Amino acid sequence: MSFPLSHKTVMVLDHGSDFLASSQQMIDLDQITKTRTLIPLAPISKSLWSCSVESSVEYCRIVWDIFPSGRLIRFVIGDGEDTRFLNTWGEQSVSQVMASFGKIPPPSTAKNKLDIVRAVEMALGTLCEPSEIQHERRTNLDLQTEVVNRGRVIVITQLQGETETLKLEKKLNTTLDIVNKVATQDDKQVPLQEVEIILIHTSPGTKEISIAPSQRKYGTLLTIEAHKVTSGYFLSEKLCELVQVHYDLAITTVTGIPMKEEQNANSSANYDVELLHPAAAHSDFKVDQSDEKHEVTLKWCTPRTAPAHELQYCTAAFRITPVDINSRPSSCLTNFLLTGRTVMLELPRKSGSKLLSHMLASHGGEIYIHTLGTGRSALEDPPSISEGTGGRVTDYRITDFGTFMKDHSLVPYDTSKGPTTENPLDMTLASISRTTLYWPLIISSTSVYNAQSHLEPLLSIIVKPSITLDQVVECKKVILNMMHMETKGSTLPLSSGSAGPRGKSGLKKEEQYRALWAELEQLVRLYCTTAEHQQVLECLLECKKSETVASLDAPKSVKLEPKASHSSENPSPSEDIKPKKLRVAPDLLGKTSLLGLIKDNMSRRPATSMWLGYNPDTKKTQLYQNIKDKANREENVPMEIP
Amino acid sequence: MPTVFLVDASLSMCKPVSLQDRAEPMQIRHLAAEGLNHLLQYMAIHCKLEFCSVVVFSSLWEVVEPFTRDFDALRDRLTRLQFYDKTNIEVGIEGAKHAVLQEWGASCSCQIVLVTDGCTPRCLPQLNSPLFPFPCKLHIVPLCEPGSPQLKASLPFYQKLIDSTGNGAIVLPEGGLSLKSVNQAFVSIGESSYVSWQGRLVCGHLESHVTLCPPPDPQIKRVYDFEQITVKMSDTIEICGFMSIPDVAHPATVSRHLVLPIPAPKPDQSETSPTPENAQLRIEDGGMDDEAADDGKQPSFCVLLHGSLKVESMVAVCKLGASWYGMLYSWADSKKKSNLMLSTFEPGEGSVPWWTSVSSLGSNMIEKLKLPIKPAEKPSYSMNSVVWIRTTGLQADIQKILRHARKLPEKMSAFYKELNRLRRAAISYGFYDLLETMSSILERECTLLPGTQHPEAALQLSHAASQLKVTAGELPDIDTPIAPLKTKLSSSYMD
Repeated sequence: MSFPLSHKTVMVLDHGSDFLASSQQMIDLDQITKTRTLIPLAPISKSLWSCSVESSVEYCRIVWDIFPSGRLIRFVIGDGEDTRFLNTWGEQSVSQVMASFGKIPPPSTAKNKLDIVRAVEMALGTLCEPSEIQHERRTNLDLQTEVVNRGRVIVITQLQGETETLKLEKKLNTTLDIVNKVATQDDKQVPLQEVEIILIHTSPGTKEISIAPSQRKYGTLLTIEAHKVTSGYFLSEKLCELVQVHYDLAITTVTGIPMKEEQNANSSANYDVELLHPAAAHSDFKVDQSDEKHEVTLKWCTPRTAPAHELQYCTAAFRITPVDINSRPSSCLTNFLLTGRTVMLELPRKSGSKLLSHMLASHGGEIYIHTLGTGRSALEDPPSISEGTGGRVTDYRITDFGTFMKDHSLVPYDTSKGPTTENPLDMTLASISRTTLYWPLIISSTSVYNAQSHLEPLLSIIVKPSITLDQVVECKKVILNMMHMETKGSTLPLSSGSAGPRGKSGLKKEEQYRALWAELEQLVRLYCTTAEHQQVLECLLECKKSETVASLDAPKSVKLEPKASHSSENPSPSEDIKPKKLRVAPDLLGKTSLLGLIKDNMSRRPATSMWLGYNPDTKKTQLYQNIKDKANREENVPMEIP
Repeated sequence: MPTVFLVDASLSMCKPVSLQDRAEPMQIRHLAAEGLNHLLQYMAIHCKLEFCSVVVFSSLWEVVEPFTRDFDALRDRLTRLQFYDKTNIEVGIEGAKHAVLQEWGASCSCQIVLVTDGCTPRCLPQLNSPLFPFPCKLHIVPLCEPGSPQLKASLPFYQKLIDSTGNGAIVLPEGGLSLKSVNQAFVSIGESSYVSWQGRLVCGHLESHVTLCPPPDPQIKRVYDFEQITVKMSDTIEICGFMSIPDVAHPATVSRHLVLPIPAPKPDQSETSPTPENAQLRIEDGGMDDEAADDGKQPSFCVLLHGSLKVESMVAVCKLGASWYGMLYSWADSKKKSNLMLSTFEPGEGSVPWWTSVSSLGSNMIEKLKLPIKPAEKPSYSMNSVVWIRTTGLQADIQKILRHARKLPEKMSAFYKELNRLRRAAISYGFYDLLETMSSILERECTLLPGTQHPEAALQLSHAASQLKVTAGELPDIDTPIAPLKTKLSSSYMD
């Protein structure tokens, strides 16, 4: 069980008096008023402390947008007097962290300095605490694996020059040893097996200290990096660089997004937006250029009308977050996607040919980048399903199975609450299993499902695992009604399709009823699990007995349990009545006209057609199939600025 | 699963070697062609839909036959290879890598059969792991006497190649070099790695016997939830439920396979021929004779499922193994031929993030949630986050407040909402100077109000300006937002 360095991170922010200083990057807030003749307000600047908070929160924003769980960050705030945690391992959201920062006053004016060693010691100590998932793995007795604990500490502070930094690093190394020793003795802690400490020196740029960027290894456990940056914007830039390294992220620049100008609705300009996401979304590109910089520029393709109904072949899907979240182009793009539209991205190629390589879409309020499969498909030129086993049968119960599928459509359930112990998927499986106990595949092998209109609601009630007494009455009504129909001599309704093939219409009326009763009995027997079901069965048997004496012996052979029967041989009651491979029943030959014979023969032929657009399922031919696609291609939907 | 025949085209391949079962010595290159021929024959029977290509290498590489299903063309090309200078395996690997990436991209899993003469390369190259950027199985066939010293020297290098690939084996002609042993070595690659998958497609009590093309990798290794897991394909694809295509929303897939219905294996035959190889042959035979016509008329659940999925634009979510799922759907290569396709997902219950976990999907309960579920914490881009890293962000926020300020009292609630948003962020960032400046800006705005403005505007602006001010040494309360001044006039403007 190996947890990566990025599983747990502690940010140590220097809250010492040095950070009260100005970042010396002036912000002019009085822009518009310049046009009016007024005394402009003095520009202001952020303090070093504000810059640290701002850039570290931005680091968190990126991490938590892309990894909503499993990547934990904790803050340690420290000055000369007090060092404390800002949030817990459980408080993992930007809003929680921002609220906590709101309770921290700016650094004190009284001279005090952060004790880096003390703060890092706290950070390492908390890294030794197992996270929720680590705790779960540790205490799970089924998994006999050791939890490998790793972590990272980022310190934003001011260092005292090269030699002092070296001394500090040595001290931190000893601190890690001590922390690990303590953790080994504590049952509730897991010693660290790999730690990365990142020291960032930040200053307004006036106080020059020489700190060369370095990366040093201490033993097998510890790596310490030192960076020096000017505060303000440059600190944020550095952290944005680091977050990409730490979490293996890459940037996709979406170029050429058409947007209308706020002032001038007629003109439209093209904008670019940078998006951050896991680098794996670029795995197809990394191949050619093995350079470190993960940046790809892709062209915006104007979205088509309804690509959601077409299943795209995707090799990966990852969450994204914009680099510059509040810029107008960024928010315009994210809002556009959040309304449910998808955008295809095109890889510009030298040859000028068009290659759609990625897709942006939102699911449940989160935006994802999908990597589309662009390589040649190994599934080229496959045989059609109509050429294989069962391919020439034309009277499948397609519509009935469609209804069955809709009845078993999946939606996610909140499994955290509610009394159910069984998971929803298993419950669905049980329902599928029961519903398919008796399910003839083709129209011509069933009488019951051809007379559905007369047998409902019995058919849908009987399938239920438990039924009420009222429902029993309803079922009985159906049975009595059926009996009434027979005595009246009404013709059995044979729903579309069944009239043609297999010559069912050739059967005599009495035979049709006999087949129906036998099949119905078999069906009810299969689903008969409770006393209420039993009542329906008894009613059915009662009616049957009074009906025909002749057919009494047939139902006795009916199997009660469907013995892992092959689908193709789903027990069909009418089988004992009509010989299986009979082209024309010999006893009916005398009663059939020549035309009937020819028609019968025609209907047996496999459904083939010379028409390109022929759909054997609907038995319809669609003309000018491509006309719609063409129209779609020419359609141009520009994005509007809200 | 495309295959590359990576053939050593160094001059030493023309060296004659003596064989146990032939009087005349034979050149290694002929032995190689002969062996590959046998593998092709095996493939022609067992996986007709396999794409193969021939890449040769010496100090350079060349794709001499691009990927094709035309086994005759491949066979023919193998007899007409040209031979050049020295063996440079590094170059060969580069060539195979290039050939596959150009054609199939990095996500398609491939097999590479490297045929060489067993000579140790002069200088051993540095190997990066993984050797190939795509999932790959590497078979190395050194055509030389198994006990020879040159091979003994080369074996550790070959093993290193396989280790860096992650999957594969060195295949040696067993029991000394002979035409028969070489052919057998190549056929053994076919037997081990070109096995068709056969199993059942099950939906409750309905089922079909099916084969998958290309055959799935028997197991895949992935890191899921920080855990290295290995999932194995079971021999049953079990349908757990259905979903409309917009709800499915294009999940990431590991591999795609055609699902082809096959006749149920007859019990008597499976007793006499239990090996998969024979079973496969029988099916192929079945496809040839009159039985095929009968099979076509035998109803198959697979065909029914395909028809309904196509008509309803739905997919069937199915279980492939422990914590491994996939989906079945109708797929058309061209307008005419549509097929049932299986896409396998990344292993793990959470492989499709917007479904939460697969086991929490269900159909027949009362308290329904609509797909997809909203995340507990909204992402930053949909909750009006404050980021002032670039000055323009802050300037835009201030301008927004001023726009509302000029339309007071109509825009009262919008004004206070934006003002409090700025105030909260400024307190969190410890950016008190901004509060002071904002206060000044509002005060000045108050003096600039035209005489026609509603008197309420001036009252609210000066109220807001005074509320923003920070008392020295005191921490402004982030939890108490600035409330509008209650005046006799204001009540009608607050919604």
